[in-house]
Amino acid sequence: MRKRSLSMAARKSREAYCFIIPAFIYMLLVLGYPLIYNIVLSFKNVNVKNLTKGGAIFVGFQNYIDLFQNDTFVLVLKNTFIFTIACLVFQFTIGFALAMFFYQKFRLSGPVRGLLLVSYMIPMSVTGLLGKNIFSNAGLVNNLLGKFGVSGPEWLVNTSTALIAVIIMNCWVGIPFNMLLLISGLSSISPEVYESASIDGANWGQRFLHITIPLMKGSMLSVLMLGFIYTFRAFDLMYIMTAGGPLNSTDVLGTYSYMLSFTQYEFSKGSAVAMVLFVCLFIVGLFYLRLLSKEDD
Amino acid sequence: MKENVGQKEVRRDIRNSVIAVVLAVFFLFPVYWMIQISFKSDAETFGKILTYYPREFTFEPWLVNLQDKTFLLSLRNSFINGFITMGITLVLGIPAAYGMGRYRVRGGSIFLLTFLVAQMLPASLTLTPMYLIFSKMGFLGTHFTAPVAIAAASIPFAIITLRPYFKSVPISLDEAARLDGCGSVRAFISVMIPAVKTGIITIIVISFLNGWNDLVYSMTFNVGEAMRPLTANIYKFQNAYGTKWNCIMAYGTILVLPVILLFIFLQKYIVGGLVAGAVKD
Repeated sequence: MRKRSLSMAARKSREAYCFIIPAFIYMLLVLGYPLIYNIVLSFKNVNVKNLTKGGAIFVGFQNYIDLFQNDTFVLVLKNTFIFTIACLVFQFTIGFALAMFFYQKFRLSGPVRGLLLVSYMIPMSVTGLLGKNIFSNAGLVNNLLGKFGVSGPEWLVNTSTALIAVIIMNCWVGIPFNMLLLISGLSSISPEVYESASIDGANWGQRFLHITIPLMKGSMLSVLMLGFIYTFRAFDLMYIMTAGGPLNSTDVLGTYSYMLSFTQYEFSKGSAVAMVLFVCLFIVGLFYLRLLSKEDD
Repeated sequence: MKENVGQKEVRRDIRNSVIAVVLAVFFLFPVYWMIQISFKSDAETFGKILTYYPREFTFEPWLVNLQDKTFLLSLRNSFINGFITMGITLVLGIPAAYGMGRYRVRGGSIFLLTFLVAQMLPASLTLTPMYLIFSKMGFLGTHFTAPVAIAAASIPFAIITLRPYFKSVPISLDEAARLDGCGSVRAFISVMIPAVKTGIITIIVISFLNGWNDLVYSMTFNVGEAMRPLTANIYKFQNAYGTKWNCIMAYGTILVLPVILLFIFLQKYIVGGLVAGAVKD
């Protein structure tokens, strides 16, 4: 009897593996293998010349040393962080405000909340096209500014304003996504907590500070980390809107890595930049996974 | 007194709805902007005054695109990208989500961790090695290269989104199927899949959009314009049209159209999926 139940369990487990393993192997082949390949590549000197002829050698950390001694790379790294942090700040605060607003029950709350997500759904490449149009010299943004008597800058031509325009376009996409996730966080707070606080005479500000914020800490943190992971790896938007220019002022790790690999055909240098991107994401990703496993307990 | 409270409620409802509409108009204005430019004549596009709606409405910019052979090929390629990505995701993702949601497996948390991490990996990281691998195998410039890479991101999404759905199906349901003499595969296909229909529609839509929206894999693995989807050929058409923004915006509008249509008809599946995929369980 015992033996039979054991074999049942073994059979069940084997069954489960049959369902899971194909996807797992696929991930190993399409993601795991290239990931390791990329690490190896970043320590070699593979470029278009020795790719077919052979003769690429290991160069140790040379690619990384070159990168950090290169002013352009340092600028790109700086841009990536400025872009990510600025986007996080704006899309999180505005997204939070909208979440608080749309969390209230009123007739158009549901439909409009859904409508706002359209900007998140459209392809980033089209967002880039749109950004290029509305921030052009005689475009919508400068036209509107003109109505208030302000003459707008040449947004995408100036090295000091191009990144701002890119950040604004990215926030347009990120705000509704943050809003959506934060609303689902707000819904998890039981209304009774607010009711009893109201009875105790707590005003709106007190309720926000002492109930909403503490109870939302988990979901706020996970939205921010997820936002970091998705924003830090940006590529499509800059590639279409500014192509990293003018003078690398909107170049980020994603576009710079692409440019090294596929315009200059310095594959090893491109993969070294991708590794820097990966390490930054990995650190934040670890925190995110720890947070998720804590929520599980 | 009672009436007063009710009136206050109604007034609040109206006030909030008005604010919501204003927010939506402000927020969606760029989309309107794109669409209205796509119906402008060349003369109006190049005119000195920036107009906020087409003074003379014309389909010309749409026709310019729709009569272009490369455009039509790109449109076809976008659909191919979407459908192949969807196919791979469904075939591999649904069974894996089932296996992880229904069985207690040794090493189950390792599988879950792998899929969670996989979802976070940026395209830049695997782009160069995959390009070199595909190039050595002689696969560059074929229809399946980009979807193969895109599916590596949508399979984890499918698993993370669907697993809770499978978990919540009552155990009695597949036990009954087994008692009726169904094998585990038959029980899975004929009982479990219909039971998680909502989740599967979400996966169908999102994985299609992942393929449709892709830029970086499609343009890297396909050098030839005839093989590239709409997203990857934006550059070609931008160069061809110069500053003819009406044609460029018609291009963009056509590229966005399926996304908006899917969104209008399947909004509840998309919105639910976005939350489920981002917040585990």
